[in-house]
Amino acid sequence: MLENMKREWFSNIRGDVLAGIVVALALIPEAIAFSIIAGVDPKVGLYASFCIAVIIAFVGGRPGMISAATGAMALLMVTLVKEHGLEYLLAATLLTGVLQIIFGFLKLGSLMRFVSRSVVTGFVNALAILIFMAQLPELTNVTWHVYAMTAAGLGIIYLLPYVPTIGKIVPSPLVCIVSLTIVSIVLGLDIRTVGDMGELPDTLPIFLWPEVPLNLTTLEIILPYSLGLAVVGLLESLMTATIVDDLTDTSSDKNKECKGQGMANIGAGLFGGMAGCAMIGQSIINVKSGGRGRLSTFIAGLFLIIMVVFLDDWVGQIPMAALVAVMIMVSIGTFSWSSITDLGKHPKSSNIVMISTVIVVVATHNLAIGVFVGVLLATLFFSNKIGRYMAVRSYFNEQEKVRTYEVVGQVFFASAEQFVNEFDFKEAVETVVIDLTHAHFWDITAVSSLDKVVIKFRREGATVSLVGMNDATATVVDKFGVHNDPKEVEKLFGGH
Amino acid sequence: MTKIVTCVDGSAITSAVTAAAVWASTKLNKPILFLHSLEKEQQHGADDYTGAIGLGARSALLEEMTKLDEQRAKVALQLGRELLDDVVRHAQDSGVADIESMQRHGEVVDSIGDLEEQTRLIVIGRNGKSHDNSFNALGSNIETLLRKAAHPVLLIPDNFKQPSSFMIAYDGRETADKALQRVIDGGLLHGLHCHLVSVKNNEKNLHDKFESAQRRLQEKGFQVTASYIEGDIFESLMAYKKSNNIELIVMGAFAHSKLRQFFVGSNTLKMLERSDIPLIVLR
Repeated sequence: MLENMKREWFSNIRGDVLAGIVVALALIPEAIAFSIIAGVDPKVGLYASFCIAVIIAFVGGRPGMISAATGAMALLMVTLVKEHGLEYLLAATLLTGVLQIIFGFLKLGSLMRFVSRSVVTGFVNALAILIFMAQLPELTNVTWHVYAMTAAGLGIIYLLPYVPTIGKIVPSPLVCIVSLTIVSIVLGLDIRTVGDMGELPDTLPIFLWPEVPLNLTTLEIILPYSLGLAVVGLLESLMTATIVDDLTDTSSDKNKECKGQGMANIGAGLFGGMAGCAMIGQSIINVKSGGRGRLSTFIAGLFLIIMVVFLDDWVGQIPMAALVAVMIMVSIGTFSWSSITDLGKHPKSSNIVMISTVIVVVATHNLAIGVFVGVLLATLFFSNKIGRYMAVRSYFNEQEKVRTYEVVGQVFFASAEQFVNEFDFKEAVETVVIDLTHAHFWDITAVSSLDKVVIKFRREGATVSLVGMNDATATVVDKFGVHNDPKEVEKLFGGH
Repeated sequence: MTKIVTCVDGSAITSAVTAAAVWASTKLNKPILFLHSLEKEQQHGADDYTGAIGLGARSALLEEMTKLDEQRAKVALQLGRELLDDVVRHAQDSGVADIESMQRHGEVVDSIGDLEEQTRLIVIGRNGKSHDNSFNALGSNIETLLRKAAHPVLLIPDNFKQPSSFMIAYDGRETADKALQRVIDGGLLHGLHCHLVSVKNNEKNLHDKFESAQRRLQEKGFQVTASYIEGDIFESLMAYKKSNNIELIVMGAFAHSKLRQFFVGSNTLKMLERSDIPLIVLR
């Protein structure tokens, strides 16, 4: 165990420290921007990012992943903050943490397998669009100075990396922020700054219990928000963990990550921070900068709070235009461009799932609802496809006057009606044989539709006999875990 | 049929390990399985500190890192293959007929674990590639291996010659009794002169147990020199080893938990770190 700890923490000290610093510098503008999206003071997001990053470094299940205050979570709390205020947000953050820990113990992380790739892509794209849209208020009803500053900022961010040597060493978003701040101060421009958006931290976060009445009314207010936050937080965290797994070719403990996210959110809630989760963009930046171990996440959190507390006067002077430029970069970096270019290649049903997820999220500003709709659609499309794997063949024995129907494939709620329609009840025969040896009856809808067929034939005066009934209905019984046992599967699908 | 699983990594110790494997294979009449583990080092990223993410940042990074890994792994595979061919040839020249070799990805400890069912004895160098020339450093994997391994482990220092005598440290505890039983049942040490050494400790009836141990060894046909000494366990054993020209040590490993070891230290670990002759560790 000690060895494991040593490896996860100290096997890559130089890379982790450098990457942690790069990430911290990128985190500061994001944490401020996400606080503004949520409608709280920048310090709430900054404290949250510090607490979450530092705690998750110890308790997370995916070393090298960056967690902090995020846009996905901030978007979910907007109305709660507007209607009930900061204290209720902190209480909701605590409850989110508790729920996530419960989810972790219930091993709900494994439910992620129901979230298909199209839903994940839709989630990511919707998130990018929402982050971009959240910047628009800063760009409406403003002077041309703001547009010029934003454009200059984007120019610096995207062109600096092409400058030889320097471009690869200095974080370009940082250069954008520093230079635009200097320009704004030197020219004495009258444009909005971070300081105008609310309070910045001037001390380390202190422990405080949210000042909300501990009663059912409070629970009623915060529970819906906490549930959404818990689900979205885990979704994004587990998605990000998979991305980091893929990038570094290592594995992670998903259930530990769920519990870790919960603990980190409880920590954030107790120190005046808003709920957060893992960040796709920041985690990619971390890996790209050479961060691999837990130390990188820890350094990111620590360096962030040191920078902010000691430089709070300067941070307040950052023009919002610089922040907007950075956030536009984040939004572009988050968007999955290949999902647009691949639209032609992917099956139509996948595209519908992806686009529906995006539309629902953008319309409701709630990623949880979008994911729910996406998963639902994906499931429907899948049942529809599988339902088509059903056919009934029939042949007539002239001598014995026997009509035989041979059912092949999957019979369940989606294909039950088609199943009934395959039989010709108008034909006048004395004996009907229904051969079910090669069919699977998955649920009671299927069984009752078979009953219906038998009854209909009887009413027409035919004698019905069923063949292979036992094999066909074996699947009605809910046998979980069968798929892991080759013998059971062989039994279930034997002879097919 | 179980095999002598022999771990090679191309370090300076490799030829000693091969010689030891040949010796064990002849004594036990078992085939050798040379194992080369391709341990993945922490790959570095693009080492790009711009912190900027543009279009398709993820797929670009994945592509870049996959390419790096691929190149590294190809070279490592090739080198490993050559190393294995080399040691196999060497073992063949020494007269072992039945030799296999195998490459696996992952930590060496895990690779050994995967081979558990076909293992008779594990032969491994006491420190690996990264420790060339630093004597006291014990390979980072060794302690984990010894705690996990279900089979005897033969630890080899940087040179090996066929031993003619061995020492078994007997402290009367269960682990020591088990180790003794394995020496008696196994065939590796038969025919070698046995030094049975007990250092007085607070174990009850140690002297009686010590005498019975001596009897058990003699019944099996071992030529036994038995010594019952007093003093600090570790220092006395080292002194005995030195004055009697011991060429191999047998010991039971890690009677205590890792937690206890953290506070009071472990004699096993001290022996492992300070010994310059082959060690057989039995669990």
